[in-house]
Amino acid sequence: MSRSASIHRPSAQRPSLRGGARLTGAWAVTLVFVLPVYVAFVSAFKTQEQILSNPAAPPAPFTFDNITEALQRPDNLVQAGLLNSILVTVATLVIVIPLSSALAFYVSERSPRIRGALLALFALGLMVPPQVVLLPIVLQLQDLGLSNSYTGLILSNVGGGYLSFAVFVYVGFLRSVPREVIEAARVDGAGDLRVWWRIIFPVVRPATATVGIFLGLWVWNDFLNPQFILGPLQGQTITTGIYVSLGAYSTDYSHLFAIMFLAAVIPVVGYLVSQREFIHGLMSGASR
Amino acid sequence: MRRRTPLSSRRLGLAPVAWIAFILYGMFLLYPLVRSFLFSFTDRSPLQTDSDFVGLDNYRELLSDDRLMDSLMFTGIVVVSVTVVANAAGLLLAMILNRSTANYRVMRTLIFIPQVLSGVVVGFIWRSLLTQNGLLNQLLEQIGVIDEPVAWLGSSGLATFSICAVVSWVTIAFATVVYTASLQSVPRELYEAARMDGTGAFGRFRHVTLPMVAPGMTISVVLCLITTLKLYDVIAVLTGGGPANSTESTALYLVNVAFTGNRFGYASAIAMLLLALTAVVSYVVTSLLRRREVSL
Repeated sequence: MSRSASIHRPSAQRPSLRGGARLTGAWAVTLVFVLPVYVAFVSAFKTQEQILSNPAAPPAPFTFDNITEALQRPDNLVQAGLLNSILVTVATLVIVIPLSSALAFYVSERSPRIRGALLALFALGLMVPPQVVLLPIVLQLQDLGLSNSYTGLILSNVGGGYLSFAVFVYVGFLRSVPREVIEAARVDGAGDLRVWWRIIFPVVRPATATVGIFLGLWVWNDFLNPQFILGPLQGQTITTGIYVSLGAYSTDYSHLFAIMFLAAVIPVVGYLVSQREFIHGLMSGASR
Repeated sequence: MRRRTPLSSRRLGLAPVAWIAFILYGMFLLYPLVRSFLFSFTDRSPLQTDSDFVGLDNYRELLSDDRLMDSLMFTGIVVVSVTVVANAAGLLLAMILNRSTANYRVMRTLIFIPQVLSGVVVGFIWRSLLTQNGLLNQLLEQIGVIDEPVAWLGSSGLATFSICAVVSWVTIAFATVVYTASLQSVPRELYEAARMDGTGAFGRFRHVTLPMVAPGMTISVVLCLITTLKLYDVIAVLTGGGPANSTESTALYLVNVAFTGNRFGYASAIAMLLLALTAVVSYVVTSLLRRREVSL
């Protein structure tokens, strides 16, 4: 990154002045861009009157009432939603990560022709819009006796486009793993399952970070699948929970922003903490 | 060579694990895809137990369905405008923010946040900003651009515009990060050489920056297209497809026909159309942009 700084070093006589103007301009653009996020954030800590009269003002006086109220709803929407979202997200990741990394290793070890065919098959999953397969999936889960169940939602997460994404990230990463590492383990007499578990899985940790971060975010934020696979009877994930409260409290902004804050705080903090892996993953994941 | 490992663990292959993955993928992607295709030739509905083969009737109906045509038109407007705006603005923002100091790093972190929020949250935030007495109208009135509040989601034209703007907002966040990463891979010698040749700022952009970010552009454009073609949750929250279905994307219409209209057969025909569109658009655009990567 130090490289890019020197590329643009201003050749004018007064670089500090130009740099200062540029910095001010850049901050202005950035702040306007994230203004909606700021408004949503402060609104969670303002009264309804404060939100309506002056949406952009800071939360003064500051109130925790919205958050407390949201957490004390008789239907337990926030707590139940967060728990359900954590369950679905964690279960999906715990199944997809080993499955896709093993599958990617298996695919990478095939002849180029078979490998190409398998990858083409999995590429479909990256492209197919989820709405296209939603209806047959719902019917299929009914046939399996899994309609409106978390098991059904988790299984369809695992077997759908997310698997394709994970396989492509792992296959891409495996190309950079030296053959000697794998061959050395084989010479010692280890079977492929052992090689995968002892050698491959630790080596592909950066790819696992990418898969974990992105799938975690997508599953957490997913709306379509929980809406129709879980349905309203089986409770909500936090994302469908927001949607339901939108219908019931359409203009009670202080309440809605509090729920939204509680729903978004986990992914946003997760992003801020794992930023480096996030951006790195975006590039390595996207470039395939 | 002596092999001490017991045979069972030595020979244990990956095939069983791979098969589990294949079966799940088959059950939840490939088979549903085939079934969707087969449904599209029937009048299947959840209200009846049997369904009849109706040949190409559903596909004929597609051609005369005005609501579908409107949804395709709306989707087309959103896809094209969002892809153009997000990539132009994303490249511009990336160029502005392409500095290594702490200030710029913080800005880059902030810019990506819309991508981390779910479409439902994004939809609600903007719904509150765009209401009659929302922040946007308040700001515009204060600086004197408008005299009375604008109903941003009230008329079909303005609602379409608002959706495009909101979706662009989310997509710009993504495009900026992709272009930033692309810019950081440009060797500075190229800029220095161009400068020594007396190339101006625009020339350096045209002949150095643009060709060098071409691979990033392919990624960004194709992903913009694929995500906006299946646009659903932001619209479901922001307008619900209204007013008068004017902001109903094809993906939203498909879901409405399937789950509200209970017409599984016809919904499947729409699904096949959406799939074909996605396939054609991503194939054509990828090959066009790849050619550009080479020829530049």
